[in-house]
Amino acid sequence: MIEPYDWSGGREAMLRFGPGSGPVVIAALPLFDEANRMRAFAVTVLRTLAETHGIAGVLPELPGTGESLVPSERIAISDLRAGFAAAARTAGGRAYSMGMRSGALLDGSVVIRHRWHFAPQPGDALLRALRRIHRTGDAPGYGGHRLPDTFLDELADCHVEPARTLRLEGDTRPADRLVAGSALWREPAPANDLALAALLADDLAGWVRACEA
Amino acid sequence: MLEVETTVRGVLRDVLGLSDDRVAAFEENTPLFGALPELDSLAVAGVLTEIEDRLGILIEDDEVDGEMLESFGTLTRFAARKVLG
Repeated sequence: MIEPYDWSGGREAMLRFGPGSGPVVIAALPLFDEANRMRAFAVTVLRTLAETHGIAGVLPELPGTGESLVPSERIAISDLRAGFAAAARTAGGRAYSMGMRSGALLDGSVVIRHRWHFAPQPGDALLRALRRIHRTGDAPGYGGHRLPDTFLDELADCHVEPARTLRLEGDTRPADRLVAGSALWREPAPANDLALAALLADDLAGWVRACEA
Repeated sequence: MLEVETTVRGVLRDVLGLSDDRVAAFEENTPLFGALPELDSLAVAGVLTEIEDRLGILIEDDEVDGEMLESFGTLTRFAARKVLG
């Protein structure tokens, strides 16, 4: 179900799954190209969370990303965070975040009770990745996105809040749990991984229940 | 070293869209850059970023050359040296 939400800079849309009450998981996709590769996967996780575990979820379109009316030339971390917090408030209930990759940069709001991250990417790492793509000269701007300097400056110091953290096996950074699967955010073409989606939904459901208890 | 090798294998599988069987067969002398059509300049950027992410290392531009990407062995040894600092 598609619903609107209002934030201080305008109106955006969000996809809603599951019951209209109780805890609600607010999802943040990675920024830029990785969002295209992970959208179907994130939707599968939210759908499984709703249908198998009876937990609500929303996937907001954030200002300056995806189908947003705000162009990427005007993207700002503060707006992305404000949009995410507004979506959480609009969703109602007790909000939990699900941040994937650089989506984990966007849930630093007091509206969020607890945070859950999958393979989080800190701001400085995203900045390095964007600059590297920029230097290949394959597409104008940063992989086809024109980004303001203010955004790139902000990214360098953009941190990930403490969260329950899951990573793929083979990732050597600290994690609460390592899971088997492939890095969908790197696949040459968008793909899905139903087994991994079910596993993440299961982990999220157990974690939300533990936080609620 | 084995852990680094497993990570590099996983990165090449994910970024280049190769099968598990194909990357499992990679050996020390398996040629990479110039030999794998999937490994274009954008894919190289993805491989480097993902190796940085998973191993918690930083790779500077001037360290990236044909020699480092020549074979599975040279790439793995480069990453392992970085991990050891």
